[in-house]
Amino acid sequence: MDEATRDAARGVAVEARGLARRFGAHVALAELDLRIEPGEAFGLLGANGAGKTTFLRLVTGFLLPSAGRVAVDGRSPVDDPRGVSRRLGFVAETTRLYPELRVRRLLGFVAGARGLAGADARRRADEALARFGLEGVADRPVGHLSKGFQQRVNLAQAFLHDPPLVLVDEPTSGLDPLQQAEVRGALGALRGRRTLVLCTHDLGEARALTERVGVLHRGRLVALGPTAELLGGADPLALFRGERGAA
Amino acid sequence: MRPFRALFAKELVVLFASPLAYLALALVALVTALIFFDHLRVYNQTLFLYASTNMRGFDTGSVPDYVNLRDTVFFPVMETLGITLIGLVPLVTMRVFAEERARGTDELLLTTDLSPGAIVGAKFAATYLFVAAMMATSFVYPAMAIVQGGLGAEHLAAVFLGLTLHAAALASIGLACSAWTGSQLVAAVAGWAVGFVVWDFGWVASFQLVSEDAVRFLDALSLHLRYGSFAEGIVSLGHVAYFVALAAFAAALARFSFVWRRVSGG
Repeated sequence: MDEATRDAARGVAVEARGLARRFGAHVALAELDLRIEPGEAFGLLGANGAGKTTFLRLVTGFLLPSAGRVAVDGRSPVDDPRGVSRRLGFVAETTRLYPELRVRRLLGFVAGARGLAGADARRRADEALARFGLEGVADRPVGHLSKGFQQRVNLAQAFLHDPPLVLVDEPTSGLDPLQQAEVRGALGALRGRRTLVLCTHDLGEARALTERVGVLHRGRLVALGPTAELLGGADPLALFRGERGAA
Repeated sequence: MRPFRALFAKELVVLFASPLAYLALALVALVTALIFFDHLRVYNQTLFLYASTNMRGFDTGSVPDYVNLRDTVFFPVMETLGITLIGLVPLVTMRVFAEERARGTDELLLTTDLSPGAIVGAKFAATYLFVAAMMATSFVYPAMAIVQGGLGAEHLAAVFLGLTLHAAALASIGLACSAWTGSQLVAAVAGWAVGFVVWDFGWVASFQLVSEDAVRFLDALSLHLRYGSFAEGIVSLGHVAYFVALAAFAAALARFSFVWRRVSGG
């Protein structure tokens, strides 16, 4: 078993130590200490503007931290961006794709951008098309697809290189209930095989897909614990208002 | 190298999938034709005038030396084409980075094996290729004037090189502008503004506060000066180096926009 396959089977750890990010005077994330274990399905919850997307952007290296550090499998996205990018798949919101590209070409492009060679890239793209039920729309432009299919394309591009860590940002935002169920089904199939970090404000999604959750309120981690325990109370929304301390 | 090639190919696909690209190609070809035939019309009318007022004017040598294809058609066409490109090239470059930023797809790119330097390099290379195709489309008219004017193949090559370098310089300026905004309109307007300013710094001389040395220095940076030299059929390494330096400076600015966004989050 090679290193990449072994990583994909068990996932990799994500660790933040004193991680902070400010935008001018606004504190988006404040001194976050968090360890997400290999193979864990972790949910990061919070209201809009709580700091969830900022955390994901710090993990991918799209943003630099104002203080502290974050590491994926011990690698810093600041010092070793390629080492980190090879270990993660990123699912942003639906619209963050190229609407003019046909699905197969988009997947081929992402495979190439991930350094996969011609035949291997085509094989991976074909596998992703089959895995996410996209064969029927493979030759249609992404912009002509429904939101549900676009999100499947989004998931497919994130899994092309079989990453041990998948970061998912609001995956069912704007989807109808059927489409939400499809996307949750695809993400649910990952449990135990990869590390999943899911950012959402949908409590049902967090219950369905994660084992442990952290709740951010105005950039601070106010609660951390098993999903069933934290979201099983009478008023789990109180967490979003920052009314409970960290578990 | 593979990620670079993948992005380069994707950029070409996106460029040629956009109606704006074909509009720009058609506009350049059309405008060049209009400029060429307008100057040719004036040239023919002038010749007719001389031939009419002095019976058998050509035979008696009464047509002045300055009435020739080179001075009456070729140089004015090149001058007008140079200015026209300042208006057209930003239409091609405005979307290259700004659209990625507006859609948020730059985040997707940066989570692949593509470094910011590779992203900038691939996008610049694809745009230069398109600009070269644009120049090839429009070159038929200047080429006709050169051939008919008896200026020779070397002159023809120098002019094509000059036109392509000029368009590439404008593309570099447009791309740098596109890298710093999420608005295609702002990118286009900034590309036009910077292009017109850099075209000819002669206007700076009208400000009395600017020293003569500064005016001379800025004048030496004018695109017009370098471009005009190629139109004369002169290929100077210094002028080529100027265009390469301008492209490198623009690429560095575009590359820095990625660093700036990581720091500022903007």
